[in-house]
Amino acid sequence: MIAAAVWLTGLLAQVTPEAAGPVESLAPGHGVNDNLFVIIAISAIFYGTPLLLAALGEMLTERSGILNLGVEGMMLMGAVAAAWTSIHGSGPGWLVVLEALLAAMVVGGLTALLHAVLVITFRVEQIVSGLAITILAGAAGLSSYLASTWDVASGPVPHRLDLLDVGGLADTPVVGPLLFHQNVLTYSSWVLVGALWWYLFRTRSGLHLRAVGESPATADAMGIDVNRCRYVHTVVGGTLAGLGGAFFPLAIIPLWSDGVTGGRGWIALALVIFGFWRPELILVGAYLFGAFSSLSLTLQARNVQVPTQLLDSLPYLMTIIVLVFVSTGWARRRVGAPAALGTAYEREAR
Amino acid sequence: MSATAPVAASAGGRPPALAARRITKRFPGGVIANEAVDLDVAAGEIHALLGENGAGKSTLSNCFTGLYRPDEGTIALHGEPVEFHSPRDAIEAGIGMVHQHFRLVEPFTVAENVLLGGHGRIRRSEAEARVAELGERYGLEVDPSARIWQLSVGQQQRVEIIKALSREARLLILDEPTAVLTPQESESLFEVLRRMTAEGRSVVFISHKLDEVRAVADRVTVLRDGRSEGTHPVAGTASRDLARLMVGRDIDLGSDPVPRAQAPADDVVLRVDGLRADGDRGEAALDGVSLEVRAREVLGVCGVSGNGQRELAEVIAGMRPRTAGTVEVAGTELTGADPRKAVAAGLAHVPEDRLHTGLSPSLSIEDNLALTAYRRPPLSSGPFLRRSRFRTRAVDLMERYDVRAPGPATPTRVLSGGNVQKVLLAREFSSDPKVLVAASPTRGLDVGAIETVRTLLAEAADRGVGVLLLSEDLDEILSLSDRIAVIYEGRILAVVDRADADVEELGLLMGGDTSHLTGDAA
Amino acid sequence: MIRLERRVDQPGWLKAAVPVGSVLAALLAGGLLLTFTGHDALETYQLLLERGFTSQGAFTATLVAATPLLFTGLCAAVAFRMRVFNIGGEGQLIMGAIGASAAGLALGDGPLAVTVIAMVLAGAACGAVWAAIAGALRAWANTNEIITTLMLNYVAANLATYLVFGSKSYWRKLDGTGAMFPQGRPLAAGAHWPSVDFGNFTVGFGFFLGTAIAVGLFVLFRSTRFGFQVKVIGDEPRAARYAGMHTKRTIFGLMALSGAVAGIGGASDVGDTRYILDPKALQQAGYGYAGIVVAALARLNPIAVVFVAILMGGLANAGRALQGPDFPAGLVGTLQGLLLVFTLAGELFARYRVRRVATEHADPAAPVEPAPAAVTA
Repeated sequence: MIAAAVWLTGLLAQVTPEAAGPVESLAPGHGVNDNLFVIIAISAIFYGTPLLLAALGEMLTERSGILNLGVEGMMLMGAVAAAWTSIHGSGPGWLVVLEALLAAMVVGGLTALLHAVLVITFRVEQIVSGLAITILAGAAGLSSYLASTWDVASGPVPHRLDLLDVGGLADTPVVGPLLFHQNVLTYSSWVLVGALWWYLFRTRSGLHLRAVGESPATADAMGIDVNRCRYVHTVVGGTLAGLGGAFFPLAIIPLWSDGVTGGRGWIALALVIFGFWRPELILVGAYLFGAFSSLSLTLQARNVQVPTQLLDSLPYLMTIIVLVFVSTGWARRRVGAPAALGTAYEREAR
Repeated sequence: MSATAPVAASAGGRPPALAARRITKRFPGGVIANEAVDLDVAAGEIHALLGENGAGKSTLSNCFTGLYRPDEGTIALHGEPVEFHSPRDAIEAGIGMVHQHFRLVEPFTVAENVLLGGHGRIRRSEAEARVAELGERYGLEVDPSARIWQLSVGQQQRVEIIKALSREARLLILDEPTAVLTPQESESLFEVLRRMTAEGRSVVFISHKLDEVRAVADRVTVLRDGRSEGTHPVAGTASRDLARLMVGRDIDLGSDPVPRAQAPADDVVLRVDGLRADGDRGEAALDGVSLEVRAREVLGVCGVSGNGQRELAEVIAGMRPRTAGTVEVAGTELTGADPRKAVAAGLAHVPEDRLHTGLSPSLSIEDNLALTAYRRPPLSSGPFLRRSRFRTRAVDLMERYDVRAPGPATPTRVLSGGNVQKVLLAREFSSDPKVLVAASPTRGLDVGAIETVRTLLAEAADRGVGVLLLSEDLDEILSLSDRIAVIYEGRILAVVDRADADVEELGLLMGGDTSHLTGDAA
Repeated sequence: MIRLERRVDQPGWLKAAVPVGSVLAALLAGGLLLTFTGHDALETYQLLLERGFTSQGAFTATLVAATPLLFTGLCAAVAFRMRVFNIGGEGQLIMGAIGASAAGLALGDGPLAVTVIAMVLAGAACGAVWAAIAGALRAWANTNEIITTLMLNYVAANLATYLVFGSKSYWRKLDGTGAMFPQGRPLAAGAHWPSVDFGNFTVGFGFFLGTAIAVGLFVLFRSTRFGFQVKVIGDEPRAARYAGMHTKRTIFGLMALSGAVAGIGGASDVGDTRYILDPKALQQAGYGYAGIVVAALARLNPIAVVFVAILMGGLANAGRALQGPDFPAGLVGTLQGLLLVFTLAGELFARYRVRRVATEHADPAAPVEPAPAAVTA
């Protein structure tokens, strides 16, 4: 991974700043804020936001011991719900956007509820259930069906997430465009990282959650309601995945296409492992992958001659490489997955 | 709560701490684990629940702690009827339990485990202080900030007791607590229990060991086949009578040696020299183990669970790589970690985890009986299996070893513990081994099965097999072994002949205390 | 209250009733969805049946649609049996298509038998290698195969796109219309795979090959030592370790086998149906994911995969034939998903018994019954 980063840096160093491209419209200032690294950092945060949201959600779900492979499907459902709400909503722009976000959350949560019911109450194999939901809700499934039934692809989504300028600080060198010129969802994701860290490691509910994921039998014997904990955290995970999906029509691509999330849900799954199930590490990973995601656009704007498909493949290849590293014995012995991840819990099992 | 009359008071005028009436619990498949069991536990009493494995003791206590819902029957605490819908109800009613398999979250600290299940904000320092305080009051010292996986089994048990005490448990149930302790540690535990009952708390002590019950309990209730055989004062009842109630006939399940036809031979069939190996977490599990087992001999290795027995068996059987040392089976040196080579050299291995290591639980009996021999004729020819041979072999072995099951196609996971062990032994003996490594072979079995297994092992030794017996049960070691070794922290501390064995000395060695050893110790 | 009890054995009627009931429930749910979104459910289903199976030429088209599903279904079934979750059928099929079309383009002028064999082998090899990457990572680096195979799907799709759209490679048609619009190079007419005409319908070589492979796999898992190993490792890896089975090698080999089957599916796509490497069509078809549905519905039984593939092929074929403003895209995928979800949920009733339990209460004031046997002090 280090070698890849070095190669990448070398590649970028050969490139000189040129005429503005689409990504640079995010940076309002001039001079140092036109620097390539700043530009990449901005797009890393931008493209990393949906990854971050979905991965944080999945982290909560997995911390309760449930593996949810339906994240991609939930993101797509959230995306289509947000797109529809934005098209058909009425009222001031900010209200419509808010409604769209809420719709995405509700839809994502409901989809996750289906997974939770299948896995907890119907004792279905978690992996198969997650895949079934991705197929059901995925690019060739329900999200596409609803999109065409509701005519979501007829035109660009009218109400979108705007960039906010916090306290007029957007012009500050380097830090300005990074920290003070983002949209509300990105800001929320930062707050969420902090809040979830506090929740997991400083509150009793978080302690109980971690206990359920490590040893449901113990948690149950101590009087914790294992199933309720799993239901709640699975649904919340889906809610966040839906929110992450909403980011696509509302911020990234205004025109709907089937499978618009392009596999980001799967990358979010890998991010949870990469981040060792900790919110702060997932933040780092999300932006790392966000940077790779946007690389092709950025380099194209600079007229760098690298085949598009290779650049498009980079996030996926990076995921594999990172995953391999994280799965080695060294890493796993220090910090591992919740011990009960993927297993069902039956109190009276003999 | 209904307006029934208070429960009849026991001697002393106070209602019993726990009064259970006609508790019945059934499981799918027609198993009746508890049938109309009555139990009274007085305040300030240590009440033993005696019965062999499978008699229903654990099931009964799970009903008291809210893990199981009884199909019939009532429970009353201090005269008030109660109904538990979940473990939380039981905990809030003041019942605590120390399970046989600890309910602890391994990556958490002691304090965090004690905090589980409570309410309100957590204050780490407060929790740690409380753990320290409780530890001191009852003689259960343990480091509150240590992580569970760092603690020894005995220390983990202390954490379990502290957990219950921190919830203000008035009634503490302990399920086979001494199974993981040395004799000396057991004594300390009994002290702790006496301190607790002196305060007016009650203790239910579940065990299948008569001498322990005698040592610690005030009264004892005997369970057999799911039914209660009555409650008796320990002081006034002979052990023989209790044993008879436990099993229904006169048995002697103590540590008297099982009679053997042959004396050990001279030739060495298993030699292990300077073995070192790592455990699952990368720690050193074996620290230079050297042993010899002769033909027709049973070498019993005793020790508290977790001192390297499992790793020793796995290294010899080729399941675990070693970092140093040699293993020689019947003259053949085993180089790599390859179970198939060990089997080819004449080794048989009955692991302590019967159902998940020795067997593939969802697979049929006939498939499991073929697990080690399926690669060779007559069970296969070339790459193809000969399933008819699987069947005939299974039928033959099941009959010879009296495996009770609907048929050879039955999945092994529905079998009782005793039958599971018979399947394992049937398979291992069928390869006509020269060496048998048996780890905790009678753990969790009922008396009939224990007798059968011990007989099978003794007969195997008489036939010429060298048996390496690893067990935490000192009685079992004493009853079967020709020589006895003690393992502690991955090293063999001493090897003695059965005739020279002294229980107290063995107990000290199991706890790592070598102070009494003079001169040669191996 | 309602209690779930694990069944000790499964009565025969239940094994048939549960899948049938699940299918009916799925169709019902699908019907409700259709009605709720303004379509006529019964008419839609009737149309599906007609265009899938009964109308002129439908069955042939269904078999054509079923063939790749047969291969990806077998690919998933092979791996899932050992709880190795190969989600990469999609990418492995694409890699097989790439390899097979190269072989077909190179040998297209020679004898047909040679060409077909070469294409099959090339497809199998490419698919096997692609899956083996993830297999090796899982076996020796303990890396979650779900994510690695998934990521490799996207890489394979990008590679195929690159070969035809992003470069002037061997796979690209450079003359004629190819000079203006990027497209794949077509196979020579002599390299098209043969098919058998049964009067009412035609069956392509690929389908025969797939069925033969299904039978072979069935025998492999039931009657060989390798199959026994797969059974044990899939059930209890610790017991497999105890028995000295080479778990890692088996995982690797199984993944390679799984990928090879999907790769042959890619070869069939090129040789039977499209005659060129068509990255866009392959990506859109989503054969790999549909194959997982097929495998799950067939309960991982290779023979059953054949029949389920035909069923799914009928659905896909009908969906495609009907697609238009009236008949929404995504319906087929949704129905497939519903079928899967209901089948999975229905398994609950096969594995557990649902009971209503009433608790009886004994009188707490009753004295303890005297001990049955008199015990002397």
